[in-house]
Amino acid sequence: MSRKTKVLLAKLGLDVHNRGLVTVAMELRDEGMEVIYLGNCLPDEIIATAIQEQVDVIGVSSLGGAHLSLGSLLMQKAEQKGFKEELVFLIGGVFSPEDAEALAKIGFDGVYPPGSSRATIVSGLKAALSKKQAVDSSQLKDRR
Amino acid sequence: MDMMPEKKTTKQLLEEALKDQKRTPLYNPKALDELKQVFNKWQQESVQPADRENWQTIPQMVLGSGTPRDLLYTPLNNPNFDYGIDLGNSGQPPFTRGVHANMYRGRSFTRRQLAGYGGPEDTNERIKFLLDHGATGISIIFDLPTIQMYDSDDPVSTGQVGMSGVAIDSVEDMDLLFKDIALDEVTVSLVSHYPSNSAILFPMYLALAKRRGIPWDKLKGSIQNDITLEEVVRSGPEYIPPQDCFRIQCDNIEFIRKEVPLWNFMTINGYNLREFGTSAVTEMAVALANAIETLETLQDRGHDADWLGRRLAFFWSIGNDFFEEAARIRAVRRLWHRIMKHRFGAEDPRSTWMRCHVQTSGVSLTRQEPLNNVVRAGYHALAAVLGGVQSLHVDSFDEAYSVPTEEAALLSLRTQQILQEETGVTQVADPLGGSFYVEALTYEMEGRILAELDEIETLGGYVATIKDGWIHRKISNYFRKERELVESGQTRVVAENVYQSKAELPPINVFRYPEGASQRQKRRLEQLRENRDNQKVSAALAQLEKACRSGTNILPLAVACADVGCSEGELFVVFKKAFGLWKPPALW
Repeated sequence: MSRKTKVLLAKLGLDVHNRGLVTVAMELRDEGMEVIYLGNCLPDEIIATAIQEQVDVIGVSSLGGAHLSLGSLLMQKAEQKGFKEELVFLIGGVFSPEDAEALAKIGFDGVYPPGSSRATIVSGLKAALSKKQAVDSSQLKDRR
Repeated sequence: MDMMPEKKTTKQLLEEALKDQKRTPLYNPKALDELKQVFNKWQQESVQPADRENWQTIPQMVLGSGTPRDLLYTPLNNPNFDYGIDLGNSGQPPFTRGVHANMYRGRSFTRRQLAGYGGPEDTNERIKFLLDHGATGISIIFDLPTIQMYDSDDPVSTGQVGMSGVAIDSVEDMDLLFKDIALDEVTVSLVSHYPSNSAILFPMYLALAKRRGIPWDKLKGSIQNDITLEEVVRSGPEYIPPQDCFRIQCDNIEFIRKEVPLWNFMTINGYNLREFGTSAVTEMAVALANAIETLETLQDRGHDADWLGRRLAFFWSIGNDFFEEAARIRAVRRLWHRIMKHRFGAEDPRSTWMRCHVQTSGVSLTRQEPLNNVVRAGYHALAAVLGGVQSLHVDSFDEAYSVPTEEAALLSLRTQQILQEETGVTQVADPLGGSFYVEALTYEMEGRILAELDEIETLGGYVATIKDGWIHRKISNYFRKERELVESGQTRVVAENVYQSKAELPPINVFRYPEGASQRQKRRLEQLRENRDNQKVSAALAQLEKACRSGTNILPLAVACADVGCSEGELFVVFKKAFGLWKPPALW
């Protein structure tokens, strides 16, 4: 039997807006995924929890303008730990089209501005997951 | 055995107080009879069967209340309408038609646009820009570390200093923020959100006034100071318990009412709760529950409801359902007057006014085709002005992309000025008054708000519903359902789920944060810690902690802390030590 997809969700830093992330949490749970909702966290703690909980997906949310500063810190930490190519990274929040491109460039597999639908997020997550797992399935098995 | 009489709810009290009122209906019974016959005949003969069957429909809108609407409204919807009791003239109880007799002829709504980004010197420039272009009030928003009460050089503030608001760490920053601005001439709204940070940031403002030799009784403006924002709407890493947060809210009010008499000590905030995700009705019911519990607590501390009521202000969100928005502003004005009069025994009509600032709804704006938001916000603003609000902020069209650019912020201000100068809507007080529809809807909204207020009071009051998570669950159920309605297309959003366009739109200009705010804040904090008398700082913080624990009002001590150069984070540490931490209920 295949294991449930495990998703870690966190608010990046001190951002106060959580309506979007809570909605996504409920929707992913309804899709049959296991969701860990971490609340407000800095990249270090997000990565540490991801390792401890052996998650498949890290989803972060930032509506307060810190998406690039903290988003790139998150990707740096992931790279240092050798997780960047294995896990799926998603980010939602308020950002300009340019910043959305920049976020994709630094390694976010899914970038979701306001108005992103449940279907878009779920299909994006699944596509990224199968792509990464196909590339890295042997390594993943070793680790788990 | 004698039982303590159970405490009556506001709804029960109002029903008792109003039941013996002698009404003089405006409509003649004979005319109503005739109208009824004509109406029934018309409904049978002229209205299509499908419309007859669906006489009532429920408009499906973002942040809507689900209140049904008839196809047509007539005097039959409100046969006992009594002009004096239900409306009165503008400036007369129950103030349905507005709090001032001459409404906007006497004083236009305050055009108050938000400003805040980067360091205090950056925001100072935006403030001057807005004032130079005819803004009549200032509204300051703070960055996330400031709102969440951490210093700019705290590790948790990494990468977030000066974003989506201005960074303020101490009285020195407050001084830079208001450089060249006469604190005794402008009205300043500090969008401090929480009771806790209001008790930290407003003392810095007071310390600045003292330093500039401006007496506190000359200061005009407002703080938010609302538990809803700290314990319900917020997502944050550390929370103090609701009862302590509520106590700080009351401490703020008590101190400010006495020492800064023209200052609005609390802006009872419906806005952020509504935007978080709740209906037009719940927004107001929750705010009233909070206001009632706050006034009761302060009455228990020995203060007079009239004295307090005179400086109470509300803050509402104005969304898409045009007539509902205008009607419910009228409804809550009437309801608040009745609550102050009958529940709190207020004698001075002035202290029963529901004065309010409103902001157009941000959640109702879309990322698709952002210029459409100019139109949306324009309708929101019109509904607010027709409802008779005191002060207005119009959201900018680019808010789904970034903090508003200068161009977008100016367009928001212009939206207000066009309403004020070019449309003529401000010439007549309460222009919607007397509309069969609007009056019926005003009654409907009042009844629904009161019913939800009753539910909260029956559950033990507002702080109790926060502690046990009832309010959190109500909100998350609402926004979850709203998401489904938008996704399924039942709630129609132009260019998002209906009339989508594939046209390539020109790229949007977005706001770029000024560089270097974080480094400047860090440097200033270093200088602050070097230059201040650190013994005085420790002593002031120790006194504050003592007051937190003993239950005496903490504000005089918080002002003393600001005076000697304590930083914001240092005060928050004291709160956490004295009150402990609280884990808010899960939203899902």
